[in-house]
Amino acid sequence: MSALGGGAGGGEGMNPTATIVGLVIMLIALAATFVVGGMSAALVLVGIIIGGVLVGFGVHFVPVGGAPAAMGQAPGIATGVAMLAAGAGLAGLFGGAWAAELGLAVALAGGAVGGGLMMAITCMFVNIVYVFGMGIPSASGKVDKDPITGDTFPAYKSQGTEGHGLPFISYVGGVIGGALGGLGGTLIYLQLLFLYEEMLPAMLNASAEEILPVAVSLAGIFAIGMFLVNAVIAAYNITGTIEGPHDPKFKRFPRAIVGAAIASAVCGLVAILIVAV
Amino acid sequence: MENLVLGIGITALAGALATVAGAAEDTESDIGSQGDPNSQVQLAPQMGYIHRIYNKAVSGEPPAYGLWCALGAGIAWALMSIQINAVLAIVLGSAIAVFVQGVYATTAYLGRTASLAKFEQPVYIDIIKSVTTVTMAHAFVAIFTTVAMCQLMIVALGHPFPLPLLALVWGIALGAAGSATGNPFYGKERQYQEQKFGAGVPISASGNIVRYAEAGQRSSLDNGWFASKLGGPASGICFGLIVFLELWRTVLFEQIGAGWGAIIAGVVLILVFMVIDRYIETWARKTYGPYVAETEEAAS
Repeated sequence: MSALGGGAGGGEGMNPTATIVGLVIMLIALAATFVVGGMSAALVLVGIIIGGVLVGFGVHFVPVGGAPAAMGQAPGIATGVAMLAAGAGLAGLFGGAWAAELGLAVALAGGAVGGGLMMAITCMFVNIVYVFGMGIPSASGKVDKDPITGDTFPAYKSQGTEGHGLPFISYVGGVIGGALGGLGGTLIYLQLLFLYEEMLPAMLNASAEEILPVAVSLAGIFAIGMFLVNAVIAAYNITGTIEGPHDPKFKRFPRAIVGAAIASAVCGLVAILIVAV
Repeated sequence: MENLVLGIGITALAGALATVAGAAEDTESDIGSQGDPNSQVQLAPQMGYIHRIYNKAVSGEPPAYGLWCALGAGIAWALMSIQINAVLAIVLGSAIAVFVQGVYATTAYLGRTASLAKFEQPVYIDIIKSVTTVTMAHAFVAIFTTVAMCQLMIVALGHPFPLPLLALVWGIALGAAGSATGNPFYGKERQYQEQKFGAGVPISASGNIVRYAEAGQRSSLDNGWFASKLGGPASGICFGLIVFLELWRTVLFEQIGAGWGAIIAGVVLILVFMVIDRYIETWARKTYGPYVAETEEAAS
């Protein structure tokens, strides 16, 4: 099974000791933020944690087939989990950051739609190449029937492979994953931008207009960094490839949510300490 | 109105630049064998198939292009801040980024191929000399167009991110779109050209890549010609559409409903692509039909 990147995984369950230790670390980060920056900083950290969890959860929806998909040996998109999710989520962040001045709701929706649109186009082109360039129809290796369309797959699967292409359920999963990634990334960015815009003028003794480029750059860098942290944590949880929400590996997501929350809390604390100390 | 017309013009130009960037990115990665199919180039000597294919998986394409585009943009940004002309600054920034790409490509080829020494895979110096520069030339096109597109987004459309950050974002998205679209075409159709068309490569055939051309051994340079038949253009249109439609929906519809117009336009676009994808999927099932085993085919 190693040729397909499956097999040796990290198991399905949650390690209770590790989970409790992690949650304690998260609470310590929250308490430290509250002590250093007050209630507003603690709320920003809560926003960052929610954003990180959305990214970590969203990555599980993205159908990634890795190297086997490039040879039509496994279904999904032929690239890495973290990379594809980052591509979609950051495209969403681009839209969300652009719409920041229009308010939180519009910016968050803009981020989600940007990420979803990137994945909608990319997944469509994956199927275009599979169908028109390689003459291969889609077939899932994990389920016999598409949960949305009801299409059956076993007859369409090439001999000696685990399936190929992007069935419709994987396509929908990709769009949802891109949207959640864009939403989470934008939420992290907006929370940090809000905090930096509030704290930096007093800290640098400058006007709000003067610090705006610094605030935007800092918030953007931290948002991209935290996005990659959460995407990589989710990728480790997935171990290799995943077909989308119908894949049995999808059930592992609670573990990634806990991991993403802890990592986001610690990273967020660092991002907040820059201005709060 | 004038602003809107300018915005649409810039959107079209950025989309065109992105299309060129996507096509160049995929062609570069196929010539240099950087994407996921490179696992087979690395595997082949271990299965006894010695080859002359370039082998430069520096990293996945998205982080690699994130680095190169951010590097090119960072240098261009610094040069522009000392009042150097924007086009010249972007050319110089991209040129320096390409040298970094060349260094990565060379060390990756040497390191990866040397690690296959115990499988008797030689390091070919002539391959380094002939292929590295070709990947650098394609990388230059991809980096220059991406950085120029980012500059347009900032100067003409007013995106708040600084140039290097925006180039990092779009560099990663470029690599993601290019590798997702172009990798299967290079992996299945080129490296496994001898396998049957219309079916996935059986796992048992892994590592048995095509190593010979019409005359002599296959060169990675020919992969550029092959990629430009479908994988490259498809990647280009994919990335071009992503950039164009992302800008188009914002420029045209953001003024409607306090920003919600652009969101609704985005959702409608997603639904349109979903319908097209479903049509392609059902078309393939009807036209190609179920898989027919090789033995039955041979008997008929």
